[in-house]
Order: sequence, then structure tokens, then C-alpha cells
Amino acid sequence: MEPSKMNESTTAKEKSTSAHVADSIATRLAAGEMTASFIEKRKKPRTRQKLPTPARVPTLGDYEPLVSKAEVDEIRFLAEGLHRKSVKIVSAPDLESNAAEMLNRLVPLLGELEVAAQWDRLAQTEESRNVAKQLKRSLASNDSWVTKELQEFCSHGQDDNLGRLRFDEDVVVLQDLETLGLIRAKETRDQRWVWRCHLDLSRPSAETWKILKPFVEAHDAAIFSTQSFACRGSIPAYLFYPCIDPLLERNKQLEPSVIQQVCEEFGIDRSRAIVTQVSPFDRARDPLGVIDAYRIAKKYVDCQLVLAGSTSEDDPDSSVVLSPIKEAAAGDSDIILAILQPDSDTKVNAIQSASTIIVQKSVYEGFGTTVTEALWKGKPVIGSAVGGIPNQIIHKFTGALVHSVEGCAYQIRYLLTHPGLAEQLGKNGREHVKENFLVTSEVKRWLLLFHILLRVAQN
Amino acid sequence: MGELLEGVRSCSGDCIFQHTFRTLQEHHFIQEGYSNDFAHWAFFACNENELAERLAAVDVREFISIEALRIRIVEVLEEYLGNFQQVRQRAAIEPFYFCSSSTVVLPTALVARNLQEFADALESISVHSLHYHFIEARLRLQLSSNDFSKWLGEEMGLKHAAELVNRIDIYTLTLQGVRHRILRIVESVLS
Repeated sequence: MEPSKMNESTTAKEKSTSAHVADSIATRLAAGEMTASFIEKRKKPRTRQKLPTPARVPTLGDYEPLVSKAEVDEIRFLAEGLHRKSVKIVSAPDLESNAAEMLNRLVPLLGELEVAAQWDRLAQTEESRNVAKQLKRSLASNDSWVTKELQEFCSHGQDDNLGRLRFDEDVVVLQDLETLGLIRAKETRDQRWVWRCHLDLSRPSAETWKILKPFVEAHDAAIFSTQSFACRGSIPAYLFYPCIDPLLERNKQLEPSVIQQVCEEFGIDRSRAIVTQVSPFDRARDPLGVIDAYRIAKKYVDCQLVLAGSTSEDDPDSSVVLSPIKEAAAGDSDIILAILQPDSDTKVNAIQSASTIIVQKSVYEGFGTTVTEALWKGKPVIGSAVGGIPNQIIHKFTGALVHSVEGCAYQIRYLLTHPGLAEQLGKNGREHVKENFLVTSEVKRWLLLFHILLRVAQN
Repeated sequence: MGELLEGVRSCSGDCIFQHTFRTLQEHHFIQEGYSNDFAHWAFFACNENELAERLAAVDVREFISIEALRIRIVEVLEEYLGNFQQVRQRAAIEPFYFCSSSTVVLPTALVARNLQEFADALESISVHSLHYHFIEARLRLQLSSNDFSKWLGEEMGLKHAAELVNRIDIYTLTLQGVRHRILRIVESVLS
């Protein structure tokens, strides 16, 4: 739709909405349902005067100043042999946010490179969503969870989607557990089917794996986020690190005034050292352990601690976790709790950018893209050796890996008293991200995989 | 460590390549530290400093075949575990995950017909192309040399420059540092 037409139709819709609200107020006022102050507010409903301009989708050229012309040229070159190839990516509708962000970038970038890419989302019932959730929980805890629902989910859970979707492309990429049942559509020998798994599948229970295995192994290849997440199977497993987009609001370079403004909002003193952990307030990220580490370090070095994050909707006990954090922080004005709304990307970026050291003291972690984001900002990062963090932090080269509260406290002290080393770790960390964890690396990995799968290179 | 030794003995050649040659490429921005994954793991996951130093001293430039490189790594491990039996069964902090590489090689559009074109191309190629021609080349050429030195010596008749390029120390420089050193040698010939 052209912008001018969009505005016209929106204005007409707004008028109609306004009239409807006035009628509704009159009816409910007569019935005595509304208070006077609320009625006043509702008389003037706030209507959006102008639709926000949609963000322009970045092109490869936009990444060139960040990753070098040689890198972008190499990506263009890799795509040349794939110009007439096509790929379909299918994911669950509620794909985990980082994976969805990457697909939002990957699909248009592949299009720019003349590799026809299409991203379809499953139509998912509440029932199958619940089975997938339960299955993910059982895989995370290595519990055996075999039920009729699971068997039905794998065998017939995708019947509706199989009837709705077509799979004519050269490569079909299925993302995560929800899509596994679609493998039944694999027919032609020339087509390549790939399963992209974002979960830790290294130690599923034998019973659960017995059900999943035939579906996984019907693919031509599987992709995992770290070596430690890969399952032992008969198909080739590829390693695709999760990546971040340096052009997103959360990762781009901010104006100093914006950083200052956010620090003032939360009462962060930029003239003193700032130690920060950005993550949801949940047990897996051990915020109480971070406070303990800060308290040990603070005996020797002056610093503030910023715990920034949101409470997780998926975690029913996140408010239970927040209470003891507030208790532990009470009485210490140098512990700053920045409780953020989910769309606080600029604030997260500003807090990370203002920090002296960033900590990720998780006891359980996926890949840990908050670490990637911190490294990209050139910050020295102290991270627990769990999940994908050791892939990002090479101890003493791109950050510091720790295994305990005490270890974390020591590294905070050490890095605050050795700013030269801290700066070097930050520089190395940023280079590590530039080489391996940016969206450009993601595009390159897919192109290389297409070459390998389709054997274009040899033809 | 005993399991590492078994793994090194039995893994594919692509695996050895990944944890030695490819590691140099993946971490090309780090100037110091352990130059292969086996040495890195021996130090950080097993706290075996001496073994880490010995494994790190295995210089990939001295090998023109992956099998010869594998034999050397096995020798270092066997010798160390022979002297320190207790290390064989001791649990590591983190497991070592054996990975292997799939290599896709494609010709780029860049061609050098003279020294100036060579310098221009060298400035614009990616670090992956640099790694392919300067470090991996010895496996392909089966020579203790690299594509750049071979071209400079055989096609341009610049034997001294070829020798200087071949002596650049990849273990004390980043790949960008290697690029600058080669450019400096070529520019000195041009001037």
C-alpha cells in the first residue's frame, strides 16, 4: 500500500473508532458502570495521528563498514553459484526471539543475493503448543516423557500443515521440535532437508529419543548451536553459532547523550566503575550469585552493580525470584535494579555501553546472546562456563570464564585493577564476534551449507 | 586425556585439520596463546601446563600432510602420558568435542598478472582467502611453502622475496599482521 493511501484509510478508521467509543460511553454512563475521571479520559480517546515508518530492511552493503568489504564480497561470491536455488524455512509461530530476529534478516539478505528464500510459520493448535512446551522441558531436564500425546504430536501433529504447505524448494529447513513432523513430506531424492535445532539435545532420555530419533534422522543434516548441544545420530551435524544483528537498536552504537540519559534515569554514576548483568530475573541467571560476587569484590575495589532485565513471562516464579533480589539489594545504594519492559532495547544497549565490566553468571544457559551483545560492545565479559558461553569467551583471550561466585568476584577485582588487560579482552571479544557471531557469518554459513548439500561447488 | 589420545588416533583427517589449521583461522585475531585446540584444552580443561606447551609447539608449518601432523600429536600425547600415568584417567573440567571441517573452495574474480596487481589483490582479499593461500597451501602443495611464495619465486623470479614471505611467523602475528608483512615485502620490491 502506498503511504498516502495508508494514511487516508487509517483516518477513516479512526473516525469510526471515535464514534463507536462515544456511543459506548453513553451506554455505560447511563448504566452507572464508569467513574467520572475515567469517563473524562475516555471522551478523548488517544488516536495515532501518523503510522510509524517501517524500519528499512538492511542490505549487505549496510554491514560493510562493520565487517569489511572483503567479507561482504566473499558472501556475494559464495552466493553466485546458488542463484537459481531456492530454500524454504519453516518455524513455529512463536520462535525464540533471537532465532526470529535472525530469520527476519536472513531471508531478505538471501533474496538480495538472488537465493530465493521463503519463511513460513506453522499454524499451531493450543494442544500441540502445550506438547512442544512439555517436550522442551523434559529435554532440558533429561526426564523421560513419553505419552500418547507425544507420539501423536510426532506422527500426526502436523497433518494440517502438511496439507497447507508445499515443499518444492531445493532445500527445506525445519526449525526446532514443533516442525519435526513435516519431514513426512520429504519425497524427492534431489531435495535436501535440514533440521535446525536451537535446543540442547545432547542428553535426552533414551525413551524420548527413541520417539524423536526417526524424525530427526530422516533429514539430510542437522544444525546445532554449540558442540555440546549436538545429539549423536547417523546424519551429519553442523555447527551454526547463534548470531546477532549489529544494526539492531540493541546493538548499534548509541549517541553519548542517549547513554548518559539512560544512566541518569536509573541513577548510575558514570564516574565510578559499573559492573552489569543484563538478563531476565530468573534462577538460571543466578542474580543472587552476582550480588554475592559483587559484595566480595567490593571489599577491595569500588564499583556499582547494575542488574538489568525483565521478568520472564515463561517463568512462573520470576516474581518469586525478584523478591529476594530486592531484599539482598536493600540498603546498598550501589546496587541498581533496572527492571525493564520487554521492548527496552535502547536502554539495554545504553546500560551495556556505559558498563566497565559485564557479567553473565548463569548456572544454566542456552547460547547466551547477551554475552555476544556485550562482547560486540567491546566490553570485558566475565561469564560462567555453561551452555554456549565457552564458545564465546576464550578464557584470558576474549574474556574470563568462571565456575563459582568466588571466581566471578576475583575476576571483577582483577579486571578493575588491570584496565589495560580489560581493554584488550574487550577488543579481542569484539573481533571474535565480528568473525563468528554476526548476521553476516550466519548468511555465510547458510551459503556454505547450501554449497555442501547441493554439491554446487563440484559441478 | 586418555580419551583425547584415542580420539586423535582414530578421528578423521578433517578433524585434525579443524583443530590445528582451522583454529589458526578462527582465532586469527589473537596474537598469542595456544595455537591449536588440543593444547588449549590440555591447559584450560586439564591444567596440564607442560603438555599444553608441548602440544602448542607442534608447528603446522613443519607438516605437509595431515597424517604426519596426527602422528606428531599422538607422539607428544603418548610420551607425556607414559611419564604421567595418573593423568590418563583424570576427569577434565570440560569435555573435548571433536569437530571436523567441510571445505568449500571457489575461485574469486581476483587475478594478479604482475606485482602491483598482486599487492592490490592482497589488500582486498578476505582473511579466509589469505589463510587458504598462505597456511593451508602446504597441505595441497605438499611443500614447506605457500601459494604466494611459490608464485613470487617461480612466476616472478623473486626468490628472496618468496623466502622472506615464507619466513613470516604465523604464531606471533594475526592474519591481518601477516597480510601487512607480505604487503611490506612486496612494496619494498616495487619501490
